[in-house]
Amino acid sequence: MVNLSVKICGVNFSNPVIAASGTFGFGREYNELYDISAVGGVSTKGLTLEPRTGNPVPRIAEGKSVILNAVGLQNPGVEEFIKNDLEWLKSKTTVIANVAGRTLEDYEKICARLDGLVDMIELNISCPNVRAGGMALGIKPANVEEVTKLCKAALEKTPLIVKLSPNVESIAVNAQAAQRGGADCISLINTLTGMVIDIERRKPIIANNTGGVSGAGIMPIALRMVYEASHAVTIPVIGMGGITSGKDAVAFMMAGASAVQVGTANFTDSYAIPRIVKEMEEWLSAHGIKDVNEIVNTLKLN
Amino acid sequence: MKELLATVKENKPIAKGIWSITLALPEPVGKIKGGQFANLSVGDASYPLKRPIGVCSVNGPDVTLCYQLKGDGTHKISQAKEGDKLSVLLPLGNGFDLGDAENIAVIGGGVGIFPLAAVIEEHAGKKNFRSYIGFRGKEYACLTEKFEKGGSLTIATDDGSIGFHGNAVQAFLSDYENIKCDLIISCGPPVMLRALKSALKERGIAVKCLVSLEERMGCGIGACLVCACKKSDGHNARVCKDGPVFDINEVEL
Repeated sequence: MVNLSVKICGVNFSNPVIAASGTFGFGREYNELYDISAVGGVSTKGLTLEPRTGNPVPRIAEGKSVILNAVGLQNPGVEEFIKNDLEWLKSKTTVIANVAGRTLEDYEKICARLDGLVDMIELNISCPNVRAGGMALGIKPANVEEVTKLCKAALEKTPLIVKLSPNVESIAVNAQAAQRGGADCISLINTLTGMVIDIERRKPIIANNTGGVSGAGIMPIALRMVYEASHAVTIPVIGMGGITSGKDAVAFMMAGASAVQVGTANFTDSYAIPRIVKEMEEWLSAHGIKDVNEIVNTLKLN
Repeated sequence: MKELLATVKENKPIAKGIWSITLALPEPVGKIKGGQFANLSVGDASYPLKRPIGVCSVNGPDVTLCYQLKGDGTHKISQAKEGDKLSVLLPLGNGFDLGDAENIAVIGGGVGIFPLAAVIEEHAGKKNFRSYIGFRGKEYACLTEKFEKGGSLTIATDDGSIGFHGNAVQAFLSDYENIKCDLIISCGPPVMLRALKSALKERGIAVKCLVSLEERMGCGIGACLVCACKKSDGHNARVCKDGPVFDINEVEL
């Protein structure tokens, strides 16, 4: 028997494979395909204080081994989530509430509202923000530190994850900024910004013109960034970006991640997460490793 | 609803740029209603997204999907040979609910005819269908025999090469005074559905009308909120889960 359970900031996950925000809703739809208590945790669809209708369609496009999305944070609002989905989701698995806002006050308020109700809170600081002049808060280290500090002050019970954008000058510097702001954990990478063009129409496919790139094609970039970030901080790291197999997940944990998230792979294979968990277990077992935690941060550089 | 590794039984062109693929499912997936769709894998890991394709016909464990060669992904699907395995997630969406309607006008354009063919197959002999299906020209025409089985059929072509010279909506409107119908079902390009909606309004036709929409999709099961459409009440609906079939007055086209 291999132990797959992990503990991050005192929170237990039955295994280290967490559904990534935006690909898994609040879990109900995937639960029609399989019992989602098989996933280590769910990072919810990005929540805002008020309901949001999101961007015009098309919101998705495909590149080679990647997809692009620009959903624009469509969500029913935090109150609807608390009322309709939270208890059910908690009965199934560990719940990370992914949250976003237009202003710093939005972030503070939504953190305060969810404090003590969910297992962890994950800040999405990659969306355009008023404070940063329409730019994402996640780009400049000073903004990362400021929003983290304000949210941390609004939280008494629930540990805080800051989800880092890869579209930055130095991922290590931004990881340190999150830690200085009081983050209990960081997760990375959020999507890279990209474009796909329909050359017949001479137009980008996505209505928003640009979208967030995710999927297998970004994994080498994500791995490098997880490695750099995890070596720049002392808080735990959740790694993601292009994981499609158990071996991919093992690589992220070796690079320094205490757990991983899987997003785009759910679209390619609806049963991706339980399959990845099984493949991890098989790999660990074949290598005589009894506890998944033993592989974290064991990378040996050349 | 299940995701299964299906075996390709047949994959062939049926009209210009239109292919038909028949998949043998390894296990039952429950009833598949006309108007429901499948999310079909391209069968190559460099294409992470499945393609949402309307189910055209169900025959025991075999499901036939018809698709238009449009981009690299559908071209790749057309290369799948008999015996190849492709992952498929189905059945998805709500499908057409005909209720108590007896006489149904069917208006389809281009690739929109395929889910309508499945509706006729499902209810053939139990309801009367009066079909109007439109193609760009005769080289694009296909599956006409399936529509004939449901009742009567008018073919329309944009170039007049066969049948009514015009589109399917115009063919329906020119015939409307002569037929009786208590339900209209339609699927086709957005421009066709918009023309249908405004024609029904202008001519004061109050018959219930159901339309099936198309949108680029992610998960196909309602989780990712990629395939949104606007409802008349201002809220969003998910084309994949709440649809793809909606009352024409319920959605903005």
